[in-house]
Amino acid sequence: MDHTSTFERIVRGILIALVMIFFLFPIFWIVLMSFQTNETILRIPPSMVFEPTLSNYSALITGTLKTTAGNLDIAFMRNLGNSVLLSTASVALALILGVPAAYAFARFRFRLGEDIAFTLLSFRFAPPLLVLLPLTLYFKQLGLTNTYIGLIWVYQLICLPLILWIVRGYFEDISPDIEHAYRIAGNSWWQTFRKIAVPLAMPGIAAAGLLAFIFAWNNFIFALILASADKQPVTVGALAFVTASGIQYGQIAAAIVLSIAPTLALALYAQRYLVEGLSLGAVKG
Amino acid sequence: MPHIELAAVSKSFKTNKVLDDISLSADAGEIVVIFGPSGTGKTVLLRLIAGVEEPSSGEIRIDNQDMADVAPEHRDVGMAFQNFALFPHLNAFENIASPLRARAQGESQVKDGVARVAKLLKIDHVLGHAPRELSNGQKQRTALARALASSPKLLLLDDPLRNVDAKLRFEMRLELPRLLRQAKSTVLYVTQDYKEAMALADRIAVLAHGKFVQVATPQDIYRKPATLSVARLFGDPTINLAETTIGDDGTIALAGERLAVDPSYEAWAGRKVIFGVRPEAITVRQGNGTGLKAQVMAVTPLNERTVLLLQTAAGAELLASLPSSSTAIPKAESGVEVTFSLNGAHLFDHETGAALTGGSA
Amino acid sequence: MSSELVLQNVDKIYGSGAVHAVKDLSFSVKPGEITALLGSSGCGKTSTLRMIAGFETVTKGSIALDGKLIHTLPPAQRQVAMAFETYSLYPPLTIAENISFALKAQRLASQDVGKRVKNMAELLEIGDVLNKYPSSVSGGQQQRASLGRALVRKAGLYLLDEPMGQLEPQLRAVLRGRIKHYLREHNCTTILVTHDQTEANALADRIAVMEGGVLQQYATPAELKVRPANLFVGTFIGEPPMNVFPVRMKDDGDRIAFMIEGGEGQNLVYKAVDFSDPLRQRLKREPSLMLGVRPHAVHIGGQGLKARVVTCQWLGDQTHIAAEIAGRTVVSVSHEQISAKPGSEVFLSIAPQELHVFTSGDGAAIAHGASLV
Repeated sequence: MDHTSTFERIVRGILIALVMIFFLFPIFWIVLMSFQTNETILRIPPSMVFEPTLSNYSALITGTLKTTAGNLDIAFMRNLGNSVLLSTASVALALILGVPAAYAFARFRFRLGEDIAFTLLSFRFAPPLLVLLPLTLYFKQLGLTNTYIGLIWVYQLICLPLILWIVRGYFEDISPDIEHAYRIAGNSWWQTFRKIAVPLAMPGIAAAGLLAFIFAWNNFIFALILASADKQPVTVGALAFVTASGIQYGQIAAAIVLSIAPTLALALYAQRYLVEGLSLGAVKG
Repeated sequence: MPHIELAAVSKSFKTNKVLDDISLSADAGEIVVIFGPSGTGKTVLLRLIAGVEEPSSGEIRIDNQDMADVAPEHRDVGMAFQNFALFPHLNAFENIASPLRARAQGESQVKDGVARVAKLLKIDHVLGHAPRELSNGQKQRTALARALASSPKLLLLDDPLRNVDAKLRFEMRLELPRLLRQAKSTVLYVTQDYKEAMALADRIAVLAHGKFVQVATPQDIYRKPATLSVARLFGDPTINLAETTIGDDGTIALAGERLAVDPSYEAWAGRKVIFGVRPEAITVRQGNGTGLKAQVMAVTPLNERTVLLLQTAAGAELLASLPSSSTAIPKAESGVEVTFSLNGAHLFDHETGAALTGGSA
Repeated sequence: MSSELVLQNVDKIYGSGAVHAVKDLSFSVKPGEITALLGSSGCGKTSTLRMIAGFETVTKGSIALDGKLIHTLPPAQRQVAMAFETYSLYPPLTIAENISFALKAQRLASQDVGKRVKNMAELLEIGDVLNKYPSSVSGGQQQRASLGRALVRKAGLYLLDEPMGQLEPQLRAVLRGRIKHYLREHNCTTILVTHDQTEANALADRIAVMEGGVLQQYATPAELKVRPANLFVGTFIGEPPMNVFPVRMKDDGDRIAFMIEGGEGQNLVYKAVDFSDPLRQRLKREPSLMLGVRPHAVHIGGQGLKARVVTCQWLGDQTHIAAEIAGRTVVSVSHEQISAKPGSEVFLSIAPQELHVFTSGDGAAIAHGASLV
């Protein structure tokens, strides 16, 4: 029964607009800033009207920053590459390890099963700073400081719990009878996992993978401490814009835009799956 | 040699013993119905035979081979589930084809096999649909088709008509015997509906509290129930029961009167028993004769029969059932007299519920 | 206290024309009468019940209780007691407290309340769970508690939505009898909604059969069985359902033959004098007809149609035999224990008084038992 009056609709529209402005304004402002020179940014009063410039982006892409004090080498594109490599590889590894583990937790009852699962989840709760000092020492001893492998391994602390908990819920939602039916039809356990369990849990796996990618991409502290400049992702790389000759707001803004562009695009593209995935398969067919 | 044999099989979940030392055997081509109220472990039993669960103890033998280390995919079994369990991401054709594909049959063989069984179950026109596009009745037939597709030697049907509406259930009950005979498999069929059990079974195994209380033909289950609970589970309306004691002269006290039941009852003189008589064995007449006097409380039609709720002068409730087409159905609130054929009477021990005597042959 | 309910030209349309759930429905329920609204899902019976209760508005038409229009009143003001399909018991109250809930508002002495609750609970066989909470009793017991809660109240009209679907099979017959007796004894005007024609037939004085939002027929169970208004009602009521054959009629003056379509010369032949003249005239005008016959009227043996036995099922108090004629399955019911081997040949005979004739087009009834409707 549709009885919202026009008044209600107008008020609803205004409220939605306010909420949207509140959340989207920072992004909007940053995007604007990325097309402005430092002088334009720092002008008082701030103005919406300006002449857009691509100098910030070109500085990032070419890797040279022309400042008043001379030229500076910026390794931003390298940082971007590191981010892509680290996030993708971490998520891939987490999926390879996590999806079968999630299946095991969902389907098999074994001793201490719940305890192990909870321990793995607790990694998400613990502040990374807690483990950083011991990790730094271990890494040094193992020779893993400033290696991709080391970072990917540490990133499992971020990605693996997510995959485990979301995908486990999805596997639990699949009626066991469906898997039984496939086995009785003549297929082995592995075939059942591959052809039935994984395809049916795919929305959850995709959502978990996406989320894990976003969290891995956004991570700052592990990369800051456990890696050096050539292996650091964009989160750390942004610090480079705080230079001796002043803070390069324009480039920071451009760097931020380039940093968030991939995850924003992914999230927008897959938003339907994210919502579906996070509601843990509530709909029973 | 029986096709399938269960020997002293038990299954417990943590402290809950669901199946307690049960034994059963079925010959090739036989249809055995496993009957019992919900939650009694019938589905667990089928899962043990299919191999997707392991018994806690006991042996399951198929074709005289111990199934202990045989995985489900190697047991040549077809199974249909209560909630259909169709593969949601495959269409009906692929669902039915899966046992054939698992046996690595060529594409044309698969096509022929699916077509044959789909035609039998009258779903050949919906083979291209996804499960969610099928009606409940079509889903149920697709699940059955999948179970039958590879012509397995052993067919396990777990209450396949449970989630299907009353009209369709009745239709399928008439069709299933022919279908199952054509399949030539040994069939273990689970149900809670006694009519389904009696309609389909060569033998019925009644499961209660984890044990088989009686395993017999439908005829024997109905006419010679081994226990009170079996007598109550078969028959609608339920059998009328009354507690009484057998007198020294072999009569029983019922509703304030002494009834001579059977001369052989003298053997149990003094024993406390439960007397049972089925509603259809009760004759109801208008008028004043020598039978038990009762008042008709309600007349409730039950399809081809009409059920009368009677109350005797002593306040005991009795259910009688007559053919609906009978011309002599009394009206509500009228007085009637009740007699029953002692041929259809049962006596059960008061403590154990075991039958002391059955009805007629 | 029992009221008369009158529905007049009631229409229900959902969502600005999208779904026309109830179409021009008119019927009345006499004081103390038990009426069932019967039909498959989507037929409009639940919408009708909800309109009577007040949970849905009436798009067109009126509903009156004892002459007073109630369709504009909120549910609480309608003097109606309702048992819901989903039970809707209050979780933090015991079963006894649930059942007595509405009685408290009637300001009865608590002893009185206790007695009424106990009697109702014993009637419905839930006397031993009165002190338990809804979450710890079975679905069947919850359903009975919900029914008890509605019945124990004094109201002008009782609305029962699928009240007995979850009942344990062993309790159904005796509870149906007791509930019917209770409703009669207290002269309760009752409307019960169900998709189960067995239940409707057991409990109701009259049944309103609905399909596609339209009332098909409103009559006693006996009338519906013997004189269904159309093919839908004829085949909906009754289990086993009515056997239906498409036939062509031939009247050669002496004999009338119904030729089964698709059958190789399978005919039902009768003496023309068994049929009334007006009926014979009417039948001559229809090239093809639908012939219906109830299972108990199909007799095995004698002379008649030759059929092949598909299955013979003895169910304890009756035998169902399914046989194939002309590619169709015919069901016969007998109250004796008969055995007929599947695959064997039998002869089926049907008396002319047992025939129901319907038109081929809209299925309207033409004749019941050899005379015109």
